[in-house]
Amino acid sequence: MRADALTTPRAANGRAPDVFEPGGWVPMREHREQDEVDFAIVGTGAGGGTLACKLAEAGFSVVAFDAGAYWRPLEDFASDERHQAKLYWTDDRIVDGPDPLKLGSNNSGKSVGGSTVHFAMVSLRFRPEWFKSRTKLGYGVDWPIDWREMWRYYAEVEEALKIAGPVRYPWGPKRPRYPYRAHPLNAAAEHLARGAEALGTDWAETPIATLSAPHGKAHPCVYRGMCVIGCSTNAKQSVLVTWLPRALAAGAEIRDLAMVGRIEMGPNGRATGVHYHREGEWRFQRAKNVVVAGYAIETPRLLLNSACSRFPDGLANRSGLVGRNLMVQLNQAVWGQVDEEIRSYKGPPSLAINEHWNYADAGKDYHGGWAYMSQGPLPISWARSLSGGRGLWGRALIDEMARSNHSVGLKMVGEVLPYAHNRVTLADETDQYGLPIPRVTFAIGDNERRMVAHALDFMEASLEATGARERWRETDDTCHLNGTARMGFDPETSVVDADCRSWDVPNLWICDGSVFPTVGGANPSLTIQALACRTADRIKELSRRGAL
Amino acid sequence: MLQADAATAPARLIAGGATILGASVLADSSIEHYRGSFHHPAMAVPIVAAVAAIRVNAAGGRDRSSVPNEPLRDPAQRPERRPRTPAHAAIAAAGAAGLGFHGWDIARRVGHLRWSTLFYAAPIGAPAALILSGALGAAADALATRDPRLGPLPVGGRFVGALAVIGLVGTSAEAALLHFRGAFHSPWMWLPVTLPPLAALALARDTLSGVPKDTSWALLGATALLGFVGAGFHARGVARNMGGWRNWRQNLLVGPPIPAPPAFTGLALAGLGALLLMRRGHG
Repeated sequence: MRADALTTPRAANGRAPDVFEPGGWVPMREHREQDEVDFAIVGTGAGGGTLACKLAEAGFSVVAFDAGAYWRPLEDFASDERHQAKLYWTDDRIVDGPDPLKLGSNNSGKSVGGSTVHFAMVSLRFRPEWFKSRTKLGYGVDWPIDWREMWRYYAEVEEALKIAGPVRYPWGPKRPRYPYRAHPLNAAAEHLARGAEALGTDWAETPIATLSAPHGKAHPCVYRGMCVIGCSTNAKQSVLVTWLPRALAAGAEIRDLAMVGRIEMGPNGRATGVHYHREGEWRFQRAKNVVVAGYAIETPRLLLNSACSRFPDGLANRSGLVGRNLMVQLNQAVWGQVDEEIRSYKGPPSLAINEHWNYADAGKDYHGGWAYMSQGPLPISWARSLSGGRGLWGRALIDEMARSNHSVGLKMVGEVLPYAHNRVTLADETDQYGLPIPRVTFAIGDNERRMVAHALDFMEASLEATGARERWRETDDTCHLNGTARMGFDPETSVVDADCRSWDVPNLWICDGSVFPTVGGANPSLTIQALACRTADRIKELSRRGAL
Repeated sequence: MLQADAATAPARLIAGGATILGASVLADSSIEHYRGSFHHPAMAVPIVAAVAAIRVNAAGGRDRSSVPNEPLRDPAQRPERRPRTPAHAAIAAAGAAGLGFHGWDIARRVGHLRWSTLFYAAPIGAPAALILSGALGAAADALATRDPRLGPLPVGGRFVGALAVIGLVGTSAEAALLHFRGAFHSPWMWLPVTLPPLAALALARDTLSGVPKDTSWALLGATALLGFVGAGFHARGVARNMGGWRNWRQNLLVGPPIPAPPAFTGLALAGLGALLLMRRGHG
C-alpha cells in the first residue's frame, strides 16, 4: 500500500487519482481560493459525493472537501481487517449517556467517498409510509417529501450504482427491475431463506451495490468476502468509484486531506466560504453556497462550531435542533451452530434479506420496523463478537473460533425513534486541528427494547427452524447514524426544508443522513444518495428561477 | 430414393454440426464440471459422451461399410443397416440423463424454481446439446443408407430442419436466460437472442413448406458465424474479470463460457444441411 495518501494530498496539481488504475491519474479542474466557486461541499460520501457529481454535471463550479485520504482501491486496500481500520473515523470523540455508542467501523468513514468505501453495500428503499410515519403510522415525524418523488430518485441511484437485486422484490409497491441480477446465495443466505420459508414469510436476495456483471472499468464481484472493508476489486459501487469519477469528469475539484473546521458568515447573513485545514495550515475557500455533508456527527459539529455573533448557537440552529434527534439503527443478532460448513467468507455478508417486519404492522407492541439479513463476519470482527458480545475468553474463545466455519447468524437493522435528548454537542477538549471534539450522548428507549425483544425471538425461531443449535444472542450493537439536522415543514421544528436548504442561512445546505427526520428499518445509504440527487435537481430548478 | 451426391454434402454438413455440438459440450462441460469439482461421478458422463460424439460424427455422413471415409457413388450399394445408431442413441441418452440431473439440481435448491436458481444452478438446457448431437449424427448416418429413417420417421431435409429449429430455439432460450443474468450489460448480448431465433423462424417456415428461401440461407449462415464471434466476445468477457487473462485459471471458470456460443454454429450447419436437402428435393 502507498502510505503517502494519508500524509500528502493526492488530488492536487491538476490531477486526481484514477481509482481504476494502479498509480493512475485523471485530470482535475482546480479553483483558486480567492475565486468564489458556486458550491463548496464539505464531505464526499453518500451525500456530498453524489451531490458534487450532480451539481458539476449541471454546470456549477464545485469544490468538494474531505478530511480523509484519496485511495486507489486496486492498490491501497489489503485484504486485512486491521490494515483497513484506516478507513474509519477514529478521531477523538466523547461518547456518553445511558447507552454510549461504539463509534468506528459500523458507523463512520474517513476517506474520499466516505463510509461508502467500507459499507456493506445493502441498498434498500424506504417503505413509502415511513415518509409520513406520524400521519400514517402514528409515530415519529413526517418527512416533507412524498414517497413517489423519492421512488424516482431511488431508481436513478439504483441505475447509477447498477444495484444487483432480485427480479421481483416481494415487499412494497411496484418498483423497476434492479439493473443487475442478484448474486448467488451463499450458505448463510440459504439459512435465512429456509428459516423465512419455515416461518411463513417472504425472503429475497438482498439488493446490493456490488456488481454481478461488468460495468465500465469495474470488474464484477469475485466473492472474496472482504466487503465491510475496502473492496480491492472495485466491484463495490462506492461513491469513490461511481459518483466521484463522474464528478471529476464534469469539472468538480476534490480536495483530500482537507478538514473543514468552520463556515464563514458574511454581514448579510449568508455564508461566504469555508475554513479548512490542509497540509499543515488553515486556508479559506470562497463560495457562493456551502453544503455540509459530514454525516450525523461531523455535520452538527461543524454547524455548532461555526457559531458567530449573528448566530451564537451555531448555524441553522434557530430551532435549537442542530445536534438533536440523533438516531442509530439497532443491530442485534442471533447466532448458532450448524453441521454443514457456512464459510462466511464467501461472498458479500448479507446476500439474503427479510423485510417482513418493515412492512407488517400487526402483532407488534412497538412502533417502527426492522429487517434482518444473513451475516458473514470477518475473523477479527467475529472474535470481537465472541469476546465482547458473548463473553468468551481464553480457551473458550479459541475453541469457539476454531469452529467458526459452522457458525451462522442473522442480524437486524432496526428503527430507532427520534429523541431530542440523543444528541451531538461540542466538548471542551480539542482535537489535532484545534477544533472542539464532538460529544455524542445516546440512550435507547423502551420502544426500541420491545422491538429488539421481538426481533431476537423471531430471528432465533428462524435459526432454530434450520437446525441451528447452541444459539446465543448478541445484543450490544448498533449501526448507521442519522438525524441531528432534520428536514421539515417549518423553521421552528426543523433545521432544513425539503430542499435540504437551511431555514436560517439561505445559501447553506445540508446533504447527508443528518437530515433524516426518521430512519426506518432499512440501511440508509440509498436514501441519502436519492436525497442528494433530489437536492441537486432542486438546486438546478432554484438556480433557473434565480432563487439560489 | 436419394441420389448419392444429393445426400452426401448435406449429410456432411449435418454430421459436422453434430461434431461441433459435441466439441462444444466437451469443452463446456469439462470446464463447468471441473468447476463443480466433479463432486458426483456422473459428472464425467457428458465428457465421455462428447468425446464419443466427436469420434462418431467426425466421419459422419459417409458410409464406411465398404469404402471407408468415401461417399458411396451407387445408392444401390448403400447398406440397409445403420451400424452406429446405438452409439448415437447412447450419446443422446447421456444428454437426457444430464437434463434429468440438472432439473433435479434446480428442484432441490433453496427457493426451488425462481430466477436465482435458474441463473446459478446447473444450466437446465445445456445437456440437450448432447441429445441433439446424437440425433443429428444419427440422421446424418441415416442419410447414407438406402432408406433413410430413424425409427418410424423418414430422415430428410424437413426432419433435420425440425431438429435444428428445436435446437436453435432451446439454445437461444438458454442464451437469453444467461444474458439476462448478465443484465445484457453489453448491447452485443442481444445478438444471440435475436439472430438465431430469426434463423429458427425462417428454417421452421421452410421446414413446413419444404421450400428453402434465400433469407433462410443468409440467416443460418450468419448464425453459424455468430457462434465463432460469440466465442470471441466471451473471451473478452473473461478478460473483464478481476485479473483478466493473467488470472485465467479462475476467470475461465467464472467468466462467460467460451465454448458455449459455437453450439449455434453446429446447429446452423445442420440447418444449412437441411436446406440443402430440401433444395435437392429430399424433403
